Order: sequence, then C-alpha cells, then structure tokens
Amino acid sequence: MTEDRLIELIEVWGADLSGFPEAERNAAKALLAARPERFAAAIAGARALDAALARIPETLPSPALTEALVASAPKRKAAAGGLRLPKFAPWAPASGFAALAAGLFMGVMVAPGASASSDLEEVESVIEHALGYDPAAFTEELGE
Amino acid sequence: MAFTSDLDQITRAAAGDPAAVRALVSRYSPGVLSLATRMLADRAEAEDVTQETFLRAWKALPGWEPRAKFSTWLHRVALNLCYDRLRKRKEVLPGQLPDMADTRLAPHDALDQAQRVSAIEGAIAALPERQSAALTLCALQGHSQAEAAEILEISVEAVESLLARARRTLRAQFLEGRTSS
Repeated sequence: MTEDRLIELIEVWGADLSGFPEAERNAAKALLAARPERFAAAIAGARALDAALARIPETLPSPALTEALVASAPKRKAAAGGLRLPKFAPWAPASGFAALAAGLFMGVMVAPGASASSDLEEVESVIEHALGYDPAAFTEELGE
Repeated sequence: MAFTSDLDQITRAAAGDPAAVRALVSRYSPGVLSLATRMLADRAEAEDVTQETFLRAWKALPGWEPRAKFSTWLHRVALNLCYDRLRKRKEVLPGQLPDMADTRLAPHDALDQAQRVSAIEGAIAALPERQSAALTLCALQGHSQAEAAEILEISVEAVESLLARARRTLRAQFLEGRTSS
C-alpha cells in the first residue's frame, strides 16, 4: 500500500475504512495508523462529503406504488394434474330429472291408444331391426 | 414467511405465490426506486421506471437462472431504462429539460437542512450519468465495487475511476465552495 494509493482509496470510498475493498483494507488501516497526519486533510474532506451524502433520506416506495408492483406480478396458477370436471350448478341434476319426468308424461299423454300386445310387437320389431335381425329369414331357416 | 434463498423466493414468486411476490417487492423496490430517482431527479419518472423494471422481472422469473444475483440484474435493468429516458430527454429541446438544483446559489452555511439535501441530490443528478449511477450504487446503496461493476457492466477499475471523479466534483461544489464563500 502506497501513500498515493491510500489517498485514492479515501477519495473513492470516503473516510470510513470499512467501505474500502476488502483486499486493501488492512494495509490501508496500517498505513493510516502509521502516518495519520499525512492523510488528515484527505480524511477530513472525505468525511464532510460522507456526512452530506448520509443526509440524503432513503427513497421509499409509496404504498400505492408497492401495491401496483404487487398487482403486476404473475398470479398463482391452478394446481396442475388431476381430472378437472366441468362445474355444474347445484340445481342441474334436479332439472335433469324434471325434464325426464316431463318427457315421459308427455309421451304417455300423446301416444295413440294401443293394446299391450301390439306395443310389445312394435318394440320387438324395433329391436330386431336395430340388431340387423331378419325375422322372416329366421322363420324360413327353422322351416328347413 | 422466510425464504431460504433468493432462488427459492424467485421460484415461488414466478409461480404466483403472493407472499414471495410481496417479499421481492419490499426487498428490492426501494433500491430500484432510489437509483431511478437519483438518476432522473424526477419522482414520477422514477416510479414509472420502477414499475417497468418489475414488469420485466415478472416476465423473466419463470426462466430465471441464477447466473447473476437477482438484485444485480434488477438494478441493471433499471439503470438501462434510466439511460433510455435520459437519452430521450436529450433529444427534446434543451429548453424543455427539467430544472436541476443550482448547487452554487447560496453560501453553503446559509442553506438549511432541506435545502442542503435538495442541493446535493441535484448535484448528484447533474453528474455525468455513469458517475451518478456509480455514486448512487456504492455510496448511497452500499453495493460493493464488484456488484457495481456488474450492474454498470464495466470493470472494477472503471467503477473506481467513476467514483473518484464523482466525489471530486461534489467535494469541489460543496466543500471547497464553502471555504471560499
């Protein structure tokens, strides 16, 4: 540590040696202790400037700015994984049953009068056609 | 809530954890606002810069890799936004530039406390941009020489040179001016 270097350090970092770069701090302290009068003027000037800088109050964000910064942040995402079912209104199942009951009632009311046996035959016919089954061919096969 | 590290806090904030977001804001916004205020000498503009800085941070968080300290990165973003605004100011007519405090107006001893603070704030803002930034980072915010070098994207030696010139200018205006007045 030279005298010139110590003067430079005081000019750059001020009078408080704890602010000096760590690598040079101890050497600077030793030199200053050895020849205080040599650095007295530099230390006094630096101390006055340090005091002026220390008077500058900390700049704190207003509550409004803080809230704006928080509000601009990403929002929490929904938990990943798991089956997500569509949301139903609590009355949805009840309305489904009501619709089914109304349909059945209307069906009974508008259906033409028919005997139970003709209804049964009609239902059988619908099922046979739906299954691709031909009753006439089946009867012929039985006859053979 | 206590966070184990910067990275933990950043990861939680990126996922939208409100406590982590608030912690990041309360931890870093004063430094960013202070830097912008010193650089721009305009509170409203400094607040705009702070908001823009954090918007960029939120965008960067999901892919954040801890190659640099978050604080360093954040201050660098803020500083670059300040440089942009200062550049735009220079593009407008000189008559439209905001008034800076005249540090030579009155004898130093006649200034009251508020005036002294205002005068030194004005003097810092009137320094060349990089000197003002270096002084704010090191002398007012307590960043180390290495951190300041990283934020300013210059060498440690260059930071030292900026600091020396900044302090010399301020000393000449405030302290040597006092003895002559």
